[in-house]
Order: sequence, then structure tokens, then C-alpha cells
Amino acid sequence: MPILSERSISNFLYWVTRKKWLILSFLLSLTLFYLPTPEGLSSEGHRIIIIVLVALILIMSESIPLPAVAILILIMEVVLGVDTADGVASSFMSDAVFFIMGSLMLAVSIVYQGLDKRLALIVLNFTGNKTWRIVLGFMFFSAILSSFIGEHTVAAMMLPVALSLIKNVGMNKIRSSNLSTILLFSIAYGAAIGSVGTPSGGGRNAIMIGYLSEFGLGKLSYLTWMKFAYPLLLIEVPIATFILWFTFKPSQKIMDSAVRKLKVQVAKSDDLNGQQKLAIGVFVFVFFSWIFLSPYIGLGIVALIGVFLYLSFGLIDWSEINRNTNWGVILLFGAAISLGIQMKETGAAFWLAEKALLYIGVVFQNENIGRWFITVVMTGILTNILSSAATLAVLGPIVLDMGGNPLVTGISASIASAFSYLTIVASPTCMIIHSTGLIRSRDYLKAGWKLFIMSVVLLMLISNYYWPLIQ
Amino acid sequence: MKILIAISSKEYSGSTLGLGMKVASALKASTTIVDVGEKINEFGSKDVNIVNQLIETWDFNRPGVEVLEWAHDFLAKNNFIEIKEDQSQPLKNKLIESETDRSEVFLKGKIGNNLSLILRNGDIIGELRSEVEFGGYDITIIGGSKKRSMSHDLIQYINSSIFIVKNYNPKNQYKLLLVVDESPNIKKVLKYGVRIAKEFSIKLTLISNEDSKQFSKKYENLIRYVNKLLRRCKVNYNSLKRNGNLEEEIISAASDKHIIMMGASGSSPITKFFKGSTPLNVMNRCECPILIVK
Repeated sequence: MPILSERSISNFLYWVTRKKWLILSFLLSLTLFYLPTPEGLSSEGHRIIIIVLVALILIMSESIPLPAVAILILIMEVVLGVDTADGVASSFMSDAVFFIMGSLMLAVSIVYQGLDKRLALIVLNFTGNKTWRIVLGFMFFSAILSSFIGEHTVAAMMLPVALSLIKNVGMNKIRSSNLSTILLFSIAYGAAIGSVGTPSGGGRNAIMIGYLSEFGLGKLSYLTWMKFAYPLLLIEVPIATFILWFTFKPSQKIMDSAVRKLKVQVAKSDDLNGQQKLAIGVFVFVFFSWIFLSPYIGLGIVALIGVFLYLSFGLIDWSEINRNTNWGVILLFGAAISLGIQMKETGAAFWLAEKALLYIGVVFQNENIGRWFITVVMTGILTNILSSAATLAVLGPIVLDMGGNPLVTGISASIASAFSYLTIVASPTCMIIHSTGLIRSRDYLKAGWKLFIMSVVLLMLISNYYWPLIQ
Repeated sequence: MKILIAISSKEYSGSTLGLGMKVASALKASTTIVDVGEKINEFGSKDVNIVNQLIETWDFNRPGVEVLEWAHDFLAKNNFIEIKEDQSQPLKNKLIESETDRSEVFLKGKIGNNLSLILRNGDIIGELRSEVEFGGYDITIIGGSKKRSMSHDLIQYINSSIFIVKNYNPKNQYKLLLVVDESPNIKKVLKYGVRIAKEFSIKLTLISNEDSKQFSKKYENLIRYVNKLLRRCKVNYNSLKRNGNLEEEIISAASDKHIIMMGASGSSPITKFFKGSTPLNVMNRCECPILIVK
């Protein structure tokens, strides 16, 4: 009898092929661990960089589940002696993590109120039946809403509206038609553009505000953030619509009957009931609390108050929140923020910032341009490969250690982490529209690179000519 | 007997479904059709879930259901299944999740005999492997892929026979090319070959090969046994005896109007992993449908 059956060997080989990146990251971390610590870097900093590399490989390759990556980060921080267990635990939980947790739970609570049909009616009354106006309307509403409540919530509510219109047009070939592509992209890209508008637009904004405060670099209130970022959003929406229109010019210039059918369909739904009115009321309360209370109690606690109210008023069951909240992502962002804090504390962030500026200095003689390139372009590119919040959690401490005005650098990096136009995995909204099966992967790049360049240029103009006026 | 047919889209799955169902009816097998949708990144998996729940309230199908609906209608239109309109069936398409990323689909008001529809999401090899484990299928039928690693992974990791429907044209009259070699699964190859040849009254060609000029005694006995069996089953066949490299001989004997049937290699999984195998090489090189029997 052989020691191992053919089946066991086959299963083992299957595991090896599926986990090759895990094995590679293990070997890489061992090799790097035994290499001498580079000059100017502390041994703790050396070890934290090893953890960052392992985490990046595992997140990108998805060879183990995201919560497992989060747990591994925490284990490695303690086992490699970067910090004590208590130190790691305290860096793991912060207001930014409360915010990410609260906003994901709020998203589930809002989506479950059945407000999507109301929203459809409002959007269509605003846009009329011309296709270009519908595209602009989708982009505008997605941007404005996602600036307050998180892009995935908006995409979830807007998607059925777009799908209904596409279906009602009655095309023979819906998949990857210009009309379906442009309508779905107007939601995803609109939501991405909008998510920079306020601190509550995305977890990454809260992470950056948390870093600035934690590292003693400055306090940013909700309204100050809006003053910096909202004009960019308002300028980007029409330009992005223009780019999308000329990239995916649909043959249907008017969608008269599709709009009419959809209006009839949504008009059948009842008027707002008491529960829905209460749900809107709670959200308005949360919004004003973010503006007026968050400087005192934090963005995360305000989001959690909102969740508490939704649960207490019976507007949503805990089972729904529990089932639909991505706890794995919360764990991962917590671990990534802990990693960011440890990078700062061990001096690894400073060392990496110095090295990055040194190497980038070979290309760009001017340090400001080099810093700008790393802060905006590198963050923007990495956000399209990783997740935006994970990107910012890791890159945040590095860019903040590059010198210059930390507020400008921090907000720029945070905004650049929303330039998630190029790939399916760039953001949950890109994944949501791709999951419909109506969009081809290559279409993301087709329009995305133009939007990416437009966003970088606009951010450069605004940060150079507008931000100095309001500081 | 149970057969699994993997489809992907309306544009490319017609021939896989057609030939797959012919094989299933020849082997009197119950059939499951699976659509494996693209893997959803973990960052967005819950969001996509919420969206799927939401679009159901708008009476939209989840992505993938329409492909299964099309497959169901395709089979009914081509008389592979009989559809009964059944009032007891759900009023709208219903998905019952049996495990993570696996749902059984029940189409509204319809019931097809001996047919199940499954929706999965994820890495194609991983999902097919799980589905075969879950359902204990004998044969997995799938369309051809240009990716060489795909055929390697299918043979290496899927625990069922693999039928790759490559360049199949339903208008052509096909012949079976049955490879008689020392594969441990040769009896099963014969069983499938005889049933398919008899069901469709198609001609069967046996191909045997020995590297050296002389066939070994053991191999001669095997060929004799195969001939005897085919005569007894009254199958119309002819034989090709070759001396050369088995892979080259099969490729030169197989035209695009053949369906190749051969047993999986008996080498150890490690040898197959690093060095490949004759069935794998034939699968990669041939321009016609091929069934590798495990």
C-alpha cells in the first residue's frame, strides 16, 4: 500500500497550485528576514516592511481569504516583535475602523428600506428621456449621493434603474452594447467621483483623517474637507460624462418608451410609508451629526449611532446586517491601519518615503513634482490593483512622511485613491456593475485611462490654484 | 449515471450543450447544467450579494440565470428534454443556495425531466471540481479553451471523465476514434464507445499502437478482447494498427470529423503534473471533440 493515495497526492498538488502565492510570500518573508537590515532602517522597520510585502502579495493574489490576511498581519506584528500584543490590539481598533464598520452597516440598512423605486422616479423626472441627459443624471445623482453615503450603497440602488431602462429599450443584444455600458459606467464612475466629496464618502477619507490626527499633523473637520474636495467633484461630473459619451456613443439618442415604461413601473409602488420616512430622517440626522458632532466624537461613532437608531427603531433586523456586512473587509482594514501606524512608529514609513523620493528624483528633478507623482499617480495606480482603502492605509503614512504640507498631501492621496476606473477589482462599484454580465473587462480600460488622466490633471489644477486660496 | 455540462454564454455553448445531451441520452444519464460566473473579488462579494437581492425585487434575474434559461429552452427546442408546464412550479425563477457560491435554479412554471440547473461563481476549475465532488458526476462536458493550462487542470484536478467539445459542428457526420492502449480505464472507454456508437449508429475506428515493431503479448490479448467485445455488441468498426509514437498516430488518424475517446493515463499524479501525459497532449493538439475517461 502506498503511503499516500493518488487522490491525496492530487489534492495536495491542487492545493499547491492554488496557494502558490501563499507559499511564495512565505519563502520571500523568510529570505528577507535573514537579509541584513538596510542602512537607516530600524530592525522593527525592516520587519514591518516584510509584513507589508506579504500582505500586499496575499491581498492581490487572493490565495487566502481576506480575514485570514488580516489575522496574519496581526500575528506577524506580534511574533516578529514589532509591538506587543496590547500595542497591536490598540492600533487595530480606531475611529476609522468604527467608521468603516458603521458605514457598511448603514449601507445595508439604507438599501433595505426599498427607496430605490422612489429614487428612480426622482432621477427620471430630473433627466427626461434624452439619453445624454440620463447619462449625466445618473452620473450626477450617483456622485452627489455617494459623497455622503458610500459608493456601494448608491450603486446598489441605482443599478436596478439602469437595468430596467436597458431592458425596456428592447435591444436584441444587451451584453456589451454601448447603451448598457455607458449607463452602468455612469453609475460606477459617478459614485467613484462623488466618494471624495466628504469624509463620509468612503472609508479611505476616514483613514486619512485618522492618520493626520494620530500623527499630530492636523485636524480636518467635515466641512473643511468638503471645502477642499467638493468643487473637484462638481467639475469632474460633466467632464466625465462628456468622456463617457464620446467613448461609448450609444445609437439610441432618445429613450422615450423605456423611460415611460419605467415610470409606469415605479409609479405602482406605494408612497413613502412611515418606516421609510423614519429611515430618511435617521440618515439626515446622521448627516448633520457628521457635520456638527464628528469633530468632537468622531466620524465612526456618528455612523454607529446611525446603526443603533436603525436597529432600535426596528428599521432593520440584526440578522440582515449580520448576513450582508462584509466583516472580513472590516478586519482587513483594521489590520491595514494597524500596519500603517506601525510603519510610522518604526520609522519604516519615513525610510520608504526617503527612498521613494530619492529614486523618483532621478526622473523628476523637482522634489515637489516627485512627491506629487508618488502621492497621486502611484496611489491612483495601486488603488486599481488593490482596494482603495487598503492602498491608502499602507501608502498614507509614507506620503505623509514625504514632507510638504501634510493636509494637502493627505487629501490629495485620499482623493487619488478614488481614481478607481481602470479595472474590475478597483472598487466594489466596478465589481457590482461587472457582476451584471453586461460589461466587458476591456471596457474599463477603454474609458478608464481617459478619466484617470482627467482626474489627475484636475486634482493638480485644484490643489495648485484653488486650495491655496482656502487654507 | 450522471453527467455535468458546463456552459458559459449563449454565443459559445450551443454545440457543447447539443453534443453533451446526445452523449447523456446515449448513456441514459441524468444531466446537470452548470454556469460558472466570473469570480467576485472578496472586497465586493457582499455588495454584489446585496445588489442581487435588490434586483430580484425588480423582477430581474440574477446574472447567469438567463444563460441557464436559454440552455433549458435550447434543449426543449431540440427535443432533448420534454418540458411540462407545471402550475406547482414557482411563479418566478427561484434560486436555492445549497452552499457558498452554489445555487440550484428552478425556472418559473417549467419542469424538465432529469435535468438540474446550477449557478456557481468563482474560478472555473475550482468550481467544477467542487461541483463534481458535490454531485458525484461520471463525466464533465465542457467547451474547448485556447488556454493550455485549462486542459491540464481539467485532467489533473477534476475527479470525473472529461469531454472537451472542440470544434463540433452538428451538421457533420462524426465517427468515433477509440484508442486501445494500456490505460487502466480501457474497459470504461469501451463501454462508453459501444453505447454511443450504437445509439447514433456511427462508425467506430479502433486505433492501437506499439512503439516497437512487435506488439507485446499482453497488448495483443487486449486488442483481441476488444475486437471480440465489439463483434459481440454488433458494432460497425474497423481497426488501425500502428507502430510509432501513440500521440502522433492518434493526431494523424483523427480528422476534424472524429470524436476521440481514450482512457486517462495511469501514471502517478506527480508525473502527470510535471511531465504531462499522452491524453493531455492529444487533447491540446487535436482539432475535434475528445473524451478522456477516468
